[in-house]
Amino acid sequence: MTELVLVVLASGLKGILESPFYLIGIPLLALGALGAAIALSPIELRWPERPADLEAEIIAPPEGHPTAPTYLRVGAILAIITAMEVGVYYLDIVQGLFLGIMLTLSVMKFLLVILWFMHLYFDSKLFSVLFGGGLALVLALFLVVLATLGSNLI
Amino acid sequence: MQQSVAATHDVAHGPLDNRKLLMWLFLGSECLFFGGLIGTYLLYRDRSTVPPFPHDVTIDGIRYTGLYDIPFTSVSAFVLLMSSVSMVLALAAIQRNDRRGLQVWLMCTALLGMVFLAGQAFEFTEFVHEGLTLDRNLFGTTFFVLTGFHGAHVSVGVLILLSLFVMASRGRITHKESLNIELAGLYWHFVDIVWIVIFTLVYLIR
Repeated sequence: MTELVLVVLASGLKGILESPFYLIGIPLLALGALGAAIALSPIELRWPERPADLEAEIIAPPEGHPTAPTYLRVGAILAIITAMEVGVYYLDIVQGLFLGIMLTLSVMKFLLVILWFMHLYFDSKLFSVLFGGGLALVLALFLVVLATLGSNLI
Repeated sequence: MQQSVAATHDVAHGPLDNRKLLMWLFLGSECLFFGGLIGTYLLYRDRSTVPPFPHDVTIDGIRYTGLYDIPFTSVSAFVLLMSSVSMVLALAAIQRNDRRGLQVWLMCTALLGMVFLAGQAFEFTEFVHEGLTLDRNLFGTTFFVLTGFHGAHVSVGVLILLSLFVMASRGRITHKESLNIELAGLYWHFVDIVWIVIFTLVYLIR
């Protein structure tokens, strides 16, 4: 925020418009912060009431699927994990620990999206088998190729 | 035809829709596609012999500044994550029969996708200005192929979203067709999780 004020003072609005980072990043970060504040607030979110004649047409979401407030909370958690990843990137820690933290955070984000947003946690297990099969083959590919031919990562 | 479901049933969830089954099969195969590209990037990681390099590095006493702009890419990653949130809100809207909400969230998702693509175009341009091209070194080849294919997938996703927005605007999507939104959402979330992996393995891990 201080940096933004300095940019404004130094070069005015023109300076901000010339920098894609500020132009794109600031409104989105503000939007994300607002979303996070709403999602993490203890206030129960309610959607506007609909006319009674529409109620009869409504098909309930598949059993167990999350509702919009749950999606917002998961989104806020994803945003927080991303912020943690970037924060860890700038910490001066040993490579092994760094790698472990990064992979853990990444796996958490991955699981949150496929389980909640893609509904694997709620839908038929057959979908999990199909997708998990692809993932298992990828992991096997990684292990075999990278371990055989060598990589600086593992 | 879709209702026949080829006798594929799940005890807990009832009959499965063939289109959803096919989409998951497709996404499973896409895992292998991107897995191959990411594996190739990791295999040739740090094996470039000529600059530019992704991260700061010192070779023979000469210090080279890395190309990656982590704050900028973090914003891009955040944008794509938030687009996934707006996508599920679009699905939740049509399941509530809220057609206006569907249009708003679909357009929001498409716009966020376009912002991500604009960021990627900016990043590519900057890298080319710094001397990194497809045939400059191993880093350039593997990086551009991997992120380029991901960008192509995002572009396809944006086109699907805009098509659905037009259909929704014309009243051709109701809660009865919410599966169309769910399928588009599955594709979009997949594009998002691929970027989650790329962001960590390609950008953040030094």
